[in-house]
Amino acid sequence: MNQTVTINISGIVFHIELDAYEDLKNYLNKIKSYFKNSEECEDIMSDIEARIAELFSEKMSDLNQVILRKDVDEVITIMGKPEQYIDEDSEEQHEAPRAEKRTNSTEKKFFRNPDERVLGGVASGIASYFGFDTIWARLFFVLTTLFVGFGPLLYIILWIVIPEAKTASDRLQMKGDPINIDNIGKTVQDEAGKVNEKLKNVNGSKIGHILERIFNGIIAVIKTIFKAAGKLIGAICLLFGLLFAVWFIMGLVDDSVIFSYTSEGITGIESSELFELMFATADQFYLFLICLIVVIVIPIIGLMFAGVKLLFGVKGNGAITISLSILWFIGLFAAITLGLKTASDQKSSQKEISSTYLSSTTDVIYLKASEKTIPGEVMLELDDFSLALDEKYLYSNEIELTIKESQTDSVEMIIETRSNGKNRKKALENVRSINYDFEVADSLIKFDEFLTTPRAQRMRNQSIRITLKLPLGKAVYLDESLNGLIYDIDNVTDTWDRKMIGEKWVMLPNGLTCLDCSEIDGIKTEDITAKIEKEKDELESAENE
Amino acid sequence: MHCNLTRVEMKIENTKAQMRKGVLEYCILSILKSGEAYPSEIIDKLKEAKLIVVEGTLYPLLTRLKNAGILTYRWEESKSGPPRKYYQLTKIGEEFLKELETTWNELVKAVKLTSK
Repeated sequence: MNQTVTINISGIVFHIELDAYEDLKNYLNKIKSYFKNSEECEDIMSDIEARIAELFSEKMSDLNQVILRKDVDEVITIMGKPEQYIDEDSEEQHEAPRAEKRTNSTEKKFFRNPDERVLGGVASGIASYFGFDTIWARLFFVLTTLFVGFGPLLYIILWIVIPEAKTASDRLQMKGDPINIDNIGKTVQDEAGKVNEKLKNVNGSKIGHILERIFNGIIAVIKTIFKAAGKLIGAICLLFGLLFAVWFIMGLVDDSVIFSYTSEGITGIESSELFELMFATADQFYLFLICLIVVIVIPIIGLMFAGVKLLFGVKGNGAITISLSILWFIGLFAAITLGLKTASDQKSSQKEISSTYLSSTTDVIYLKASEKTIPGEVMLELDDFSLALDEKYLYSNEIELTIKESQTDSVEMIIETRSNGKNRKKALENVRSINYDFEVADSLIKFDEFLTTPRAQRMRNQSIRITLKLPLGKAVYLDESLNGLIYDIDNVTDTWDRKMIGEKWVMLPNGLTCLDCSEIDGIKTEDITAKIEKEKDELESAENE
Repeated sequence: MHCNLTRVEMKIENTKAQMRKGVLEYCILSILKSGEAYPSEIIDKLKEAKLIVVEGTLYPLLTRLKNAGILTYRWEESKSGPPRKYYQLTKIGEEFLKELETTWNELVKAVKLTSK
């Protein structure tokens, strides 16, 4: 038993078998789509339908009331397929579908999968594109959310950029199936099945139906708002993208800009050469730089593209988006790895101490900075910190000079050399490669204002701490040139380092005391002089006894 | 099938189609010269002359000729099927046909002359 349908062609009613009906419908649709671009479509269709009705009428008799599949086949043979028509536009119309086929082929495209989604179908779209199970893509987003934190941001960006698979051919491209009639048919049937199921579920309750309508209404309102907001956000994205791009290009031209932002508070860096010395090798530095550029540039591109997309509704290219996203993660990962590695090169901190006894006979020791200026090209200059480079050496003024009371009768100079390194051995090696000079001529000590370290040793926070141990009763004169050297010298009057220079200071049991200051921090010279006299007397009387 | 055609074959097919297309219009108008006809009649004659293979070819042509003012039609009820469109030449159509006849004769002469 075959099911029949009643149809009306050109005002005549026919009974037709279901299979035959499908064939006929497909045939008419094909003709219609063939002529859909011409103005006469309606006319041509009605003429063709009239002729078909005529042909069917001829076939009908009292015995034969139903149109069968073979009847439709015969009519199609008589009428011919659109491709067989001799038609004025035939060439153009033949070209068009061919061109379409070429672009559609089996090329995979990125689409969000609306059939399998929790939020926007991004994860299932990614999974379809790469051909693995959706659960892994979801797991990736969950893990990046929990442990790294960028998951939601990435998801939202992808949600915006990747288009949703709307048509059957989109869905096939999402999965990479070749697009042909069979496959489209399959997809459409799947979909029809789904729609039917949905309808069944909804029809189950009227309340469900009403709720769905309300929900759809709300969604429509939200969509409208978002569309308007989208344009605004798009404009803002584009503007910021352009600003960042300009900022970045300027940063490339003048490389100080990039780094003055990344390392807080440092300004006026003249060259990246210095930063190179923080890394183990120059190659690592350049690799880090490239990664940094990738990590900065890709979001700028993304931002601008998102702006253009929102503003003008341009379709995204999923493959490029995903490649750039992957590249960004690789860049970020490499930059972090290199950064951590470089930081670990500073892990161990070591020092060595050397001590020199000075056989000075005079009561006053004169301390001065040597006339030597820092060699090489100065790369970095902060308030009281400077670094210089030449071809072989690295020069820094990380030198501190302080004065303490000596436990013995002689003047002792302790030099503490410090450096960091990957491990204890490497740090000690760095320590030993530091070179520091000072000159002793009778009662005059001249300190170099810089330490020298071979470039191969890299920048590992090399520094020198000089402690001059002064016996009781001995005095030092701090020359004006010591301004950059002295650091935190304890004294009775808690006078600042900067104010201590240009004065003579004597070591008394209480600590360093200014010998002939006119007035420091409210203490009048007379008081101090009186005090010193008194203490001297006490010392003498003690000695006499 | 089409895909398997060689370049030369495609060229031949194309030229044949072009020639047939040019003549087809002239023949339709010639059929209507002797009086009005409905599409099935026209089709029968064209098929007899082996100018067309499938009927679908005719309908777009008739519609375009009608829209160009060369043909006009009237409806007539049919006992065996839907109402029929009876086509006939308009005045413009008659003049158009005369010009086509002249051109055709010239072409025939030209072909004869060149293929001798």
